[in-house]
Amino acid sequence: MANIQSMEHTGSLGRLPSLKTALAAITGVMMLVDLYLIFMVAPTDSVLGHVQRVFYFHVPIAIMSFLAFFVVFIGSLMFLIKRTPKWDAIAHASAEVGVVFVTLALITGIIWARPIWNTWWTWEPRLTTTLILWLIYVAYLMVRSYAPSQSKGAIYAAVVGIIGFIDVPIVYYSVVWWRSIHPSPVVGPFAQADALDGTMAWILLYSFITFLFFFAYMVAERMELRKTEEALGRIRFTLRRKGR
Amino acid sequence: MLDLILLSSHLPSSNLPYLFSAFAVSWVVLFGYLFYVNRRQHEMKKEIARLQKVLEDDQPEG
Repeated sequence: MANIQSMEHTGSLGRLPSLKTALAAITGVMMLVDLYLIFMVAPTDSVLGHVQRVFYFHVPIAIMSFLAFFVVFIGSLMFLIKRTPKWDAIAHASAEVGVVFVTLALITGIIWARPIWNTWWTWEPRLTTTLILWLIYVAYLMVRSYAPSQSKGAIYAAVVGIIGFIDVPIVYYSVVWWRSIHPSPVVGPFAQADALDGTMAWILLYSFITFLFFFAYMVAERMELRKTEEALGRIRFTLRRKGR
Repeated sequence: MLDLILLSSHLPSSNLPYLFSAFAVSWVVLFGYLFYVNRRQHEMKKEIARLQKVLEDDQPEG
């Protein structure tokens, strides 16, 4: 019989909060500080004006989506090698959260682009490859949903998760390899040393850390949902065997 | 002083609606997703509790 007691939060008086609760609390506080830094401390860009502040969300969100798909890549690889459900659960949760983050990266980028490039969308390399990334991981989730069985869905999705990761470095390097109107990288191997003002750089770093905690919290929430789904599946199977 | 006035007159302050839209959409999507996950969790736990009761009712007495 499914035991749902083990899935309950341990948050009542006298017991330690669960990891998920701790992540939620840390993320909440960090996010409030982040918003203060973005709106009250970060200097205004002399060329782009206030809309440049979107950058403190857009860049960390985009990088977290890359991290999410890297976790999917590792989880999928380990699942295909070891065939343990734990790795599939990690990959699945990370893929779903990754799709949320890459969707946001696209939306915040589009909103930023309208006043700066005078267009909502252009088929330039960074935007196009990011859209392809979004489509790949939406396909990952659809493959899981529409596969003939859960176990086959996990295997097919793992293959998509491994091959689809090829697009992540393509997205990052697209502004270097091809002619692009997207701003050059401000983080990573192709970022110039003076790409950012000192204050902007440390606020961006703080945003990265904030979104890292947010990502971890969202994955923890999704993995707990997965455990509940599995428990429900087990109890329904038990009832079907009893003819109920 | 004149340089500052001229510079500030060229700052695109009218882009503020775009700035706030980007942040608003971010919050809606992030919290919307968390709300969706929590709601499904709640509904599934209710269903598990109901099915566990069905299982317990099926157990033979004694």
